[in-house]
Amino acid sequence: MSGHRHKDHQFNEAALAEPVELDLEQRKTILFSEAGLPTWTHWQVLGLEWNATPEAVRAAYLEQVKIFHPDRYAGKKLGSYRVRLERVFRRLTEAREVLTSEVDRAPYVLATAPALEVTRLEARRLEDERRSVERRGRLARHNPMLARAERITTLMKHGREMMAAGQFDQAANDFQLVASLDPGNTEAGPLAAVARKKGLEARVNECLEKAHAAEAMGSWQGALAAYRAAIEIDPVHIRSMVLASRAALMLGDAGGARGLAEQAIKVQPRSAVAHEALGLALEADGQKGDAKRALERAVEIDPRLDSAKERLKKLRWSFL
Amino acid sequence: MIDQEPVIGIDLGTTNSVVATIGDGVPRVIPNRSGQLLTPSVVAIAKNGKPLVGGLAKRQSITNAENTVYAAKRLIGRRWGSKEVEDARRVLPYELVAGPDGNDVRVMLGGKPVSVAEISSQVLAELKADAEAWFKRPVTRAVITVPAYFNDGQRQATKDAGRIAGLEVLRIINEPTSAALAYGFGKKLEKKVVVFDLGGGTFDVSVLDIGQSVYDVIAVGGDTYLGGEDFDRRIMDWLTFNFAKENGGVDLRQDKMALQRLRDAAEKAKCELSGTPSADIHLPFLAAAGEGRAALHLTKQLTREKLEELTKDLVERCVAVTEKTLKDAGVRPNQVDEVILVGGMTRMPRVQRAVRDFFGREPSKGVHPDEVVALGAAIQAQALVAPSIQGAEVLLLDVTPQNLGIMVVGGYFQTIIPRNTTVPTNQTHLFTTVQDNQTSVRIAVLQGESDKATDNELLGEFVLAGIRPARRGEVAIEITFDISADGIVGVSARDVDTGQEQSINVTATSGLTEDELKRIIDEHLDDQLEKKQSTADLERSRSRVAAVVAEIEAMVPDVQKALERSRFGRDAVQKAEGVLARARLALDGKDTDELTKVSEALERTLQLFKGLAAAPPEGS
Repeated sequence: MSGHRHKDHQFNEAALAEPVELDLEQRKTILFSEAGLPTWTHWQVLGLEWNATPEAVRAAYLEQVKIFHPDRYAGKKLGSYRVRLERVFRRLTEAREVLTSEVDRAPYVLATAPALEVTRLEARRLEDERRSVERRGRLARHNPMLARAERITTLMKHGREMMAAGQFDQAANDFQLVASLDPGNTEAGPLAAVARKKGLEARVNECLEKAHAAEAMGSWQGALAAYRAAIEIDPVHIRSMVLASRAALMLGDAGGARGLAEQAIKVQPRSAVAHEALGLALEADGQKGDAKRALERAVEIDPRLDSAKERLKKLRWSFL
Repeated sequence: MIDQEPVIGIDLGTTNSVVATIGDGVPRVIPNRSGQLLTPSVVAIAKNGKPLVGGLAKRQSITNAENTVYAAKRLIGRRWGSKEVEDARRVLPYELVAGPDGNDVRVMLGGKPVSVAEISSQVLAELKADAEAWFKRPVTRAVITVPAYFNDGQRQATKDAGRIAGLEVLRIINEPTSAALAYGFGKKLEKKVVVFDLGGGTFDVSVLDIGQSVYDVIAVGGDTYLGGEDFDRRIMDWLTFNFAKENGGVDLRQDKMALQRLRDAAEKAKCELSGTPSADIHLPFLAAAGEGRAALHLTKQLTREKLEELTKDLVERCVAVTEKTLKDAGVRPNQVDEVILVGGMTRMPRVQRAVRDFFGREPSKGVHPDEVVALGAAIQAQALVAPSIQGAEVLLLDVTPQNLGIMVVGGYFQTIIPRNTTVPTNQTHLFTTVQDNQTSVRIAVLQGESDKATDNELLGEFVLAGIRPARRGEVAIEITFDISADGIVGVSARDVDTGQEQSINVTATSGLTEDELKRIIDEHLDDQLEKKQSTADLERSRSRVAAVVAEIEAMVPDVQKALERSRFGRDAVQKAEGVLARARLALDGKDTDELTKVSEALERTLQLFKGLAAAPPEGS
């Protein structure tokens, strides 16, 4: 805020002409600084470069308050300049507070950084990050505690990646490892269970797809084998059992069909389609009474199961 | 500039006060007219109705306890009914009553209620007169110190006391800051300094960052009810308790004269124990034992260990306050470059040890604990009248000691200016009306540390009147709270939409009203005129006596020569020495009668000397 800085400043003529006991240079300095307050950054208020050190901030503050503290003009007629001085003084104090604060300084530095500095800072931040990753890695290799922590972090990360890529078995494996390495980890266990379940589903779906493809080609033999493979993977997979029962029936194996249907009912006694499948198998086997009862049960469980209703109607007709 | 009216700095203490000035660029203490550097902060009305201040008042306190006021600083700016005042009433020998508005505290002195500011003003007026006698010219401008932890009311009342004493108070500054100023005077310091100020009635801690002659206070803390008086009280309680135990339950607290003697003895023993491991307390004829029996004496030995045990918690309180203040400042004890001890109580070895243990360093020995505050005030006074003079370019940046705020719904306290904010400062707060057509709002302004409004000190209530009628919430009023460099609070208000300044009626809750103050100042002006008159007489007799003394002294060699030749009058010189000694004493005092008497005796001696010197040699 030295003399040359206000060379081009448009001064408030009325204020400059005020009859006060301050020389022209003092009046100009005060008016110039007061006029700058609304637009200047804290750095500018203190006459500093952006990001000056806290020590420099303090030194500049002491320099500036010696110019702008009203006590420096004690006993003099100040007129409107008293308020102006106080205004500048308060702002100087605020600037000092912010720029020497352990909490407020860093955000302010960032917020007032020149555009070029922002890019430079961002680059430095990334570089710092890379270095710290590298350092952590280096440390991990030497410190068993850190190594374990590092391994857990890697496994968790890998597990999540595998999960996202649909490699559920691999993911389940990673999570399971974490759970055994770190029994206190509340995340790994449940994640492993989810991954396992998803892995199972994926493999079952794979079999089902094969079965559908076989059915489309009319290969009931192939379909049945695929369904059985699915049941092998997931022994409670009712849909596979029901579809396998239908495939067996198509192949003329009423007994096999009945076995599969009964297996499904055993797993899920309230499955309408399972009872329907049983009904169809029994009918094919010639046991019309039992078939009818099985179909009735299916309709009872799911009244909207039209295929069973249709079949039941036919059974009743032939019976009549 | 050279012939500018002198300015003074006054340390208005709880127990003692000191006045100082800058002479030839060096701060120095002005001795009072009895030649002492410390003037007891005691005011009394003697049995013959004569007002007494300082040493004279203190000397007669034992026989006139009820009309001798000491430790008025503990009451200044306090509200009637506050805890501090209630506590004081229990232990003080003089009577306290409520002021006319029921908020202010008045002291019964000579049968009349007197405001505390007036009591303090008498001490200030005494110091002012001492300074005037020293400079031999009027002194009207002063800086007065107060504990850093004083709130607005206490500062305001101290300023009022100055005005009553006929002083223009240039600034109220904080005692620890003042001490730092004196400590740093003439040195080029770049340091973090802690001032530990344990005085007669108050305790203050300040953390300062000194650099480039700027004394930047970072944080202050304290307790306005912790000081030497409390240490004395512990000794007194111990003595009265033991006395009752040993004498069948005689309660010394009922006897004001005995109590005053106990107080003096306790203070004396405490001071002694700073230098010796034990002190004997001997008070003969302290109490009557009952009809027909001999009077009771008190004889007791107090050891340093016992004193330390009795006052352990007081020292601990000091350390706790220090710890909190350093935390506020964000400074660790080992980052402090210097610890300055101020106040007579810091002579106590246990206090010094506590400071040493806390900071892990020896406290600075460079300052005089009793004088340093007044010296700093003188430095600041000089800086405020001639800021550009070489050596006076110090700048103080002090802080507000307590949160300033207002009472909000639910009786809570909302801080507007937090403590340790550099002053002068201001802060605006936006109020809106809460009712339709609301025309006034009452705002209670408080100072303190509690979230609950009622636990804080009420500074005053401000009624914002003349708000324009409108739907609720439509009028926004901007209230500006500002704190001056004195630490004194001001409030102004403005209607945000119309820009109209609002009228604010201030209801002071303690202290004197402006009218009362004016009346008292007028009365005191009359008093001072009278005093000036008598001061002028005194000065005249003094200069005459001094002239005669010089004349006699000059004649002594001649007279001695003449006597060697004479057979009679051999003891003339010896007698003259006696008269001269008495004259020198009278010159230091201010008893006009004594001066007149001495003057007569001197004239006689002079005549005798003249006769002897002129006599022809015997036998010639």
